[in-house]
Amino acid sequence: MSDFNETIPLGEFDREFTLKELLSGVKTDKLLSAIKTILGGDTCLKSDKDEVVIGKPLSEPLKRVPLYAEMETIGYLMVNKSVDDNLLFSVRQMIEIILKSSIRYLMASDLHLETIQFDYKELKQKHQALMESELRYKDLAANLEQRVGDQVKTIEQAHRQLYQTEKLASVGQLAAGIAHEINNPLGFIQSNLSTSKRYIADFKAFSEKLNNETKVDTLRKTWKELDLDFTIEDFQQLLDESIDGSERVTKIVNDLKEFSSADQSKQEIVDINDHIRSACNIVKLEINKNTIFKQDLGELPNVKCQSGQLSQVFLNILLNAEQVIEVGGEISVKSLMHDGKIIIEITDNGPGIPDDVLKKVFDPFYTTRDVGEGTGLGLTVCRDIIMNHNGNIEVDSKVGEGTTVRITLPVKT
Amino acid sequence: MSDYNPDNNKLTLKLVFYGPALSGKTTNLTRLHDLLDPELKGEMMVLETKNDRTLFFDLLPLGITAPSGLLIKLKLFTVPGQVAHDSTRKAVLSRADGVVFVADSQITQSINNAESFENLAENAARVGLDFENLPMVVQFNKRDLPNILSEEEINQRWQSTPWKLVFSSALKGDGVRETFSGLLDILYDQMDNKYQLYSDHKLSKEVFIKGVLGETL
Repeated sequence: MSDFNETIPLGEFDREFTLKELLSGVKTDKLLSAIKTILGGDTCLKSDKDEVVIGKPLSEPLKRVPLYAEMETIGYLMVNKSVDDNLLFSVRQMIEIILKSSIRYLMASDLHLETIQFDYKELKQKHQALMESELRYKDLAANLEQRVGDQVKTIEQAHRQLYQTEKLASVGQLAAGIAHEINNPLGFIQSNLSTSKRYIADFKAFSEKLNNETKVDTLRKTWKELDLDFTIEDFQQLLDESIDGSERVTKIVNDLKEFSSADQSKQEIVDINDHIRSACNIVKLEINKNTIFKQDLGELPNVKCQSGQLSQVFLNILLNAEQVIEVGGEISVKSLMHDGKIIIEITDNGPGIPDDVLKKVFDPFYTTRDVGEGTGLGLTVCRDIIMNHNGNIEVDSKVGEGTTVRITLPVKT
Repeated sequence: MSDYNPDNNKLTLKLVFYGPALSGKTTNLTRLHDLLDPELKGEMMVLETKNDRTLFFDLLPLGITAPSGLLIKLKLFTVPGQVAHDSTRKAVLSRADGVVFVADSQITQSINNAESFENLAENAARVGLDFENLPMVVQFNKRDLPNILSEEEINQRWQSTPWKLVFSSALKGDGVRETFSGLLDILYDQMDNKYQLYSDHKLSKEVFIKGVLGETL
């Protein structure tokens, strides 16, 4: 591309021109012979520096007529002294007209060249910039796959973090209720165990008596004094109560495990109803509004799914319902098979969702709750999870009547 | 840039009339040709026009001789205002020693004025002129027309700028001489700084301006 370094040599269009330059485009021999004919004698043109430009130096230069161009003397017309002044004046004017037209021509053509040079330079710069940008694009194209891969990885990671955050938020919402439900049985188990310790002491006292006393009557009297008949009965009750309490804790912990399982992406073959139930159980812990909870779970085939994620969906939707209903409100959960697909419907009789809000419920970060109360990601995450399972989720709502969230999942084994 | 040739004792200065299309640059030059009577005044050279629109440039050469014998030639150029002729405008603007920006006072021309002025600043930078220190006068022309911006409005818009404002009606000849002498005033200071016009050539500002305008002292 060596031609890109070429420049067109030229003078500045607004420079001062010399006589020689101005006559360069003129057929000088014809001009000279015309002047000679008119003046009837030998002649030559000299520059302002006294150099002969046209013709031959005259042996006897008798008259020197100045030639003007651009307000200045640019050269001289040399003639014999005998030439008529009027004739000389006309010839001088004629030459000056030629010079003037020559100036116009030279200025215009040099300006044109200068313009071209400017444009050419600019074109070169643009070309250079274009080459650089082309190189960048080539480079980009070459690395595109790699970069897209990296970006996908980054986005996936951000997604996982977002899901985790949302999951923690919903579990966090439950924390107080769960703590209460665990604390309650733990409290009476502890109290029962303390009582049990006292009962053991009573038996120990009776056992000492048994070693020293042989009379059955005295022993019977002591047994009665210690009220050991009641103790035995009560002891039994305490143990039953405690076993029941610890079973409740175990159940809560088991339900919670569904949500805290570290690997949510694990594919399992499960009965979805089990996951609906455990989500319901967890939400029930939170309920302190005397909510009526209805479950109508039909028989479903086992399906292969990311069960931890589905549990999160059920929990999110149930928590949403629980938040909006009045005291004494109703939440009903239904599951059934329809057209070879699993349908899960969660309905509340809360205030319902206005149309303008309904349009946005799946939008990320859209929330009607106060700052800090909701992430605005709950339903977004739900939708993503259900779409990942090739399912569908939709929300029907009527203001004043309530809301139904309907999830459709394909059967995959 | 000014061209001083000590061999033939000559200083050539280039002054450019810049501005949007049809703002009256050529009219300014024509009027100056008629109004001024300096020691040397060339014919006005009008290069290639089409429908009265300048395609290349117009040129009016003026000249005075300083007491020292220094010949000062002033070459007044106009640029073609039409947007398409930007390269020509740039080439004509190169090496300018001073600029008259001829703006059109009509309200409808405000955007064209602004664009042309921006174009002047850009082109000045491209051809290596120091725009900040370039002697310049801003002329608001066509004051004789209706629907023009008021002087008050124009003054307010330009008050934060360093340039002298002149209101003119070139067609009638009003303000043309004032514009030009305003430019000569600033131009003299710069040239005196560069070539010691006063100390070396015994040419005072007053004599310079009056000489170029052709006024008797």
